Amino acid sequence: MIASDDEPIPTMQYYGPTDSFGFGQLSEVWRMRELLYSFFLRDLLIRYRQVVVGVLWVLLQPIMGMLIFMGLFSVLGTNAGSSNVAYAPIVLTGMLCWQLVSSSFRDATGSLVNYRHVVTKIYFPRLLLPLASLLCATFDFLIGSLLLIPVCWMTGTAVVWSTVWLAIPIAAWLIVFCAGCIAWLSSLNAHYRDVGYALPFVMQLGMFISPIVYDVERLRHVLSEKWLWLYEANPIATCVGLLRWAIMGTPLPSSVGMAIAAAITALVFFSGLSWFQHADQQLADRI
Amino acid sequence: MSIESIHLDKVCKRFRLGTANEYGRLTEAIASNVVKWLRQSPARKPSSRSDSPTQQLEDGWFWALRDIDLSIQTGDIVGIVGRNGAGKSTLLKILSRIVTPTQGRVGVRGRVGSLLEVGTGFHPELTGRENVFLNGALLGMPRTEIRRRFDEIVAFAEIDSFLDTPVKRYSSGMAVRLAFAVAAHLEPDVLIIDEVLSVGDQAFQRKCLGKASQLGDQGRTILIVSHNLSAVANLCRRAVLMQSGKIVADGAPESIIEQYLSDSQSGGGRRSWGDDESAPSSSEVRLQAVVVRGNGIDAPTGEVDIDREIVVAVDYKVLSNNAKVSIQIQVKDETGAYVFWSANAPSMSVSPDPWFGKPHPRGMYRSECRIPANFLNDTRYFISVLIGPEVGVTSLRQESVLSFLVHDTGAMRQEYTGSWHGPVIRPRLDWKTQSL
Repeated sequence: MIASDDEPIPTMQYYGPTDSFGFGQLSEVWRMRELLYSFFLRDLLIRYRQVVVGVLWVLLQPIMGMLIFMGLFSVLGTNAGSSNVAYAPIVLTGMLCWQLVSSSFRDATGSLVNYRHVVTKIYFPRLLLPLASLLCATFDFLIGSLLLIPVCWMTGTAVVWSTVWLAIPIAAWLIVFCAGCIAWLSSLNAHYRDVGYALPFVMQLGMFISPIVYDVERLRHVLSEKWLWLYEANPIATCVGLLRWAIMGTPLPSSVGMAIAAAITALVFFSGLSWFQHADQQLADRI
Repeated sequence: MSIESIHLDKVCKRFRLGTANEYGRLTEAIASNVVKWLRQSPARKPSSRSDSPTQQLEDGWFWALRDIDLSIQTGDIVGIVGRNGAGKSTLLKILSRIVTPTQGRVGVRGRVGSLLEVGTGFHPELTGRENVFLNGALLGMPRTEIRRRFDEIVAFAEIDSFLDTPVKRYSSGMAVRLAFAVAAHLEPDVLIIDEVLSVGDQAFQRKCLGKASQLGDQGRTILIVSHNLSAVANLCRRAVLMQSGKIVADGAPESIIEQYLSDSQSGGGRRSWGDDESAPSSSEVRLQAVVVRGNGIDAPTGEVDIDREIVVAVDYKVLSNNAKVSIQIQVKDETGAYVFWSANAPSMSVSPDPWFGKPHPRGMYRSECRIPANFLNDTRYFISVLIGPEVGVTSLRQESVLSFLVHDTGAMRQEYTGSWHGPVIRPRLDWKTQSL
């Protein structure tokens, strides 16, 4: 078989040391989306191949988290929830978001290092590896979100139908923030292994400075309005607060807080892309 | 009409010495940056240098490649030859985008498939079938195309009964067969092969070479790094010789291979290091010289007559008193076929070596080995020297230290004038026919 003449001749692609901001990576990721899907599928297959409970595990984790904190706060006799919404859906929303953040951070941080035998032998957009971890976490997040339906129904929580669709762009915001963070974390970890060791402590701290097991409303007694925006500058806090607002009608986070959180998200995302590209160029030498 | 498929423009690559596989600490990096910032010393940029010194080493940096300009046309099959450390593998890694060049730019037209190591991209937990899809995707092949070519790949790799077995239970031969099958059937525009073909049995190697030349006929560009020089000579239409990170010659494979071999012959039958630290040494022995000469001739030669005994002399210095030393040599031909191995042990020697097994006082020694006349064929042979405390134990190993050519004088051609090409050796044996 001779290559046919009407086959288009591919264009010459040049590459070399570059100082660009790394937007080119995004188009490459899109071009190689099949590989992203393969990585995602592989991660899923490996995760559930030898686990008996299988996909149920995804549902079990947020339920267990929800039950633990419900039990804990009822024993302590504190109301960590909102004044007009039951505690169960509040903590479940928080747990789902936190699971998305923590498992994507955890898996993505090690993704490049764990795959170094491939990274040093074959070229592909390296951003796909952390993104596949994020995709896995998103998959768990979506499956877990289905739990909100029975939980809201059982606790008699009224869903705000006019704003519930906003949950999708809000979740997307959280995912973009995670993408920026894991671009930083995964490439930093490839160069400096101590990032992986420090991460669990930071994550533990993060769980308590974000409104995961309590509602922001509880903080209003402690933090004055003057300082609340600082708390809401944390994009995780803002996204969780917004999700609860969109689904259950808890108070909206402050606009200053949201604006700062959006700015921080953009900063983390773009700096993450640009840093990842920079780190990528020395990856095979350093990993 | 020829279209350029690969273009390298002044490509350089440098590595920091000693830190290649070291994990850094973020805290250390921050601390050193803070110190640097406090001292206000501007960071030295590699691009600020315009001269290009010939030295590969420079303040803790190693230049693996320097100012490589190379242009390859579509449909070319190019072999890259050179000694270990000449930069061949780094060049291939830059072409397959695994490593980013420090300076310069690289242009490649179309999809690149690379085979840089056995079973790259195989996940041990996944089955053969799942790995074909994952590996195909890694090489940039769409899922539908993999499905279309799946049977062809499996048939080529000869693993059909193991398709649903996890790859961790595969033998290395099976893994490399599968990897080559995927890479070759992906129909890349550029296929890069680095020494992987040395794994796997002879029959499969032949099959791979056949597939590679078939791809070349289809107008694919192929780059091969191999120590199997006969494969390079057979398959390639062009060869590039690399030395110390530079391209030193470029042309027809036969002439490039000849140049490579005569370079590595290093001064015609003699390779010496002098008495300095750079000589290959172990804690007990330092190699000083290896010499090949014909029996009865004093001067070392790179070419020995076929009907003359060949003397291989190894000069070495014993560094620690009463060390036990055994000298061994290996001989390979230019296709890499292993011809023989020999040591100075009494049972391997025609007459016992008086120093064998005895403690050697500190000092200089010369061990000589005689290869009989009318034994080797008229081709080039490579000698490797191995030194160890006893036979079979190696503390110092110098691969392909010297090569020599056996010259056919016609001593065995009285009755037959045809080709002797093919056999590894050409021994003169004892023949007798009796009427029964």
